[in-house]
Amino acid sequence: MTLVLRGAAGALLAVALIAPLGVNGYYLNLLYQTVLFVALAYGWNIISGYAGYFSFGQIAFFGIGAYATGLTIMSFQGNWFVGSLLGGLLCGIIAVPIGFVMLRLRGPFFSLGMLGLAMTVRALVSSTPQLGGGTGLFLPPGATLLPVYYWTLAIALAAFAITWWINHSAFGLQLQAIREDETIAGTLGVPQTRVKVTAFVLSAMIPGFAGGGYAWFLTFIEPTSAFSSRIDLQTIVMAVLGGVGTLWGPLVGSILMTQVSEALWAQFPQAYLMIFGGLLVALLILLPRGIVPAIASRLPPARAARERSGETGMVTAQMVSHE
Amino acid sequence: MAILQLIVNGVLLGGVLALSALGFNIIFGVMRVVNLAHGDILVLAALVCAVAYGQWHVNPLLLLPVTIVGGFAIGACIQRYLLRRLPAEIASGEASSLTLTFGLSYFFMGAGLWVFGGEFRSVPYLTSAFQLGPISVPQARLLAFVAAVVLAALLGLYLRTTRMGRAIRATSMNLDGALACGIDIETVRTFSFGLGSAVAAASGTLLSYIYTFNPQGGTAFTISAFAVIAIGGLGNYTGALLGALILGLAQSFTSFYAGSTLADAAPYVLFIIVILLAPNGLLGRRTT
Repeated sequence: MTLVLRGAAGALLAVALIAPLGVNGYYLNLLYQTVLFVALAYGWNIISGYAGYFSFGQIAFFGIGAYATGLTIMSFQGNWFVGSLLGGLLCGIIAVPIGFVMLRLRGPFFSLGMLGLAMTVRALVSSTPQLGGGTGLFLPPGATLLPVYYWTLAIALAAFAITWWINHSAFGLQLQAIREDETIAGTLGVPQTRVKVTAFVLSAMIPGFAGGGYAWFLTFIEPTSAFSSRIDLQTIVMAVLGGVGTLWGPLVGSILMTQVSEALWAQFPQAYLMIFGGLLVALLILLPRGIVPAIASRLPPARAARERSGETGMVTAQMVSHE
Repeated sequence: MAILQLIVNGVLLGGVLALSALGFNIIFGVMRVVNLAHGDILVLAALVCAVAYGQWHVNPLLLLPVTIVGGFAIGACIQRYLLRRLPAEIASGEASSLTLTFGLSYFFMGAGLWVFGGEFRSVPYLTSAFQLGPISVPQARLLAFVAAVVLAALLGLYLRTTRMGRAIRATSMNLDGALACGIDIETVRTFSFGLGSAVAAASGTLLSYIYTFNPQGGTAFTISAFAVIAIGGLGNYTGALLGALILGLAQSFTSFYAGSTLADAAPYVLFIIVILLAPNGLLGRRTT
């Protein structure tokens, strides 16, 4: 199984690296959307899936990354790539104080707090003339998608690598212990705040980096597209479909859904949010753990246990033995 | 004098926000579910009123029974056919009920966009004002305020005097105790979600006199309902009135001095201040 999985992952990576060189604009765009959502879903998965703090406001960091890039290009005549780097770093820096405040809230209050954060940042950007206000910023034309694609692919790979590391490190076990029971994790000596804030910062930087490429690709950013409800919702649907808090879930969910969602978005832009909102509700009821855990639980027991180890139960006990 | 005027506007707005928060609080109290679709139900009700007024000049007050029944039906169905079906064995039960209401919020927002389109709508009814010396009291706001106070009083009476109302309050206070007393929890939950959504729809109906609405504005009202509850203390009805008053004043002042976009951010900023100053007050009634 592991061999099959590695082979599949290797083949996928080869496709992701080579395919964009030989396809036309439509498919390149589709590939870009896929790697974008792989990156975003992995980013969301760190804080929501592993730490158990469901964030409905990660789009705030995506938007900040986009605007940081817009500003770098327009005000400082910088390069989009530099802007994107700055945007990601900026998100990492501001995520520290935000994380300190927000992660004091538990459960639904954190989620609501993050939802409000995204809304408020959007309102602030809309009312700041230096950022184009509600009209937005027009970036100079001339963007080519290929470099943006490879940059986003690199972000997606990094996000995957971080998740792999979380799955195989004491840090990851600490995160999952917090998810299972924060109080017990605390009594076992998990430095809760530090661990949670670190996860939050990682979760913020990934969309921060990705937002810059997106802005350059659109060549026009305004609050509604940079802080897009559609991207926010779609990311969460993909992670839930694949399996929240799993290593492979975000990848599987994003690859399966991107084409569908692009087609739906093109066909029914009016009903899109309704369809995806309904889809999320249906997934939670019909396939609550997602595709990857559902498949893993059908594997032979020993392997299934290993595949599942990062997902539910006994994390705390495992952590004790790990230390 | 401008300040006095802003206070009057803020207090009148606060009354309606308090009603909206009461609905949010019933659902949270009984089920510990934060209903992220609260604001979207409110906005849909307001849009129905705006369209009905635009088409047939119906006074939103006359539509109250319709929106209340509609809101109740939607809420009861959410609990009975969706939330109850969430698999119980999933470890993160709280997160999945929350994510479900998040999905519903987009479902309603998308439905609103599909049916009503994205433009802003309002009810230009009773646009004149009573002149009290230097202060003008906008008639529409006064009407919404009075209606909200009447509805909130009726709701309080209902929760205190009827059998179902008492069952709702008992379940909020102590789930195990309520079960031990033989209360049918499933019925109480369905009814509470219905009641909470009906109250959201009623406050949307009344707010249609005050604000302009488009389907994408729901989140702001969810946040404001939560901010009211957070300021006042969860489960504390007198506190909620105080919270609504503070929030109404904050919105009225920020929209005058900083514009309406930033006024939308006011509830959120208050919410953050409360978190920083009184985190325990916020988490006081959280179950384990």
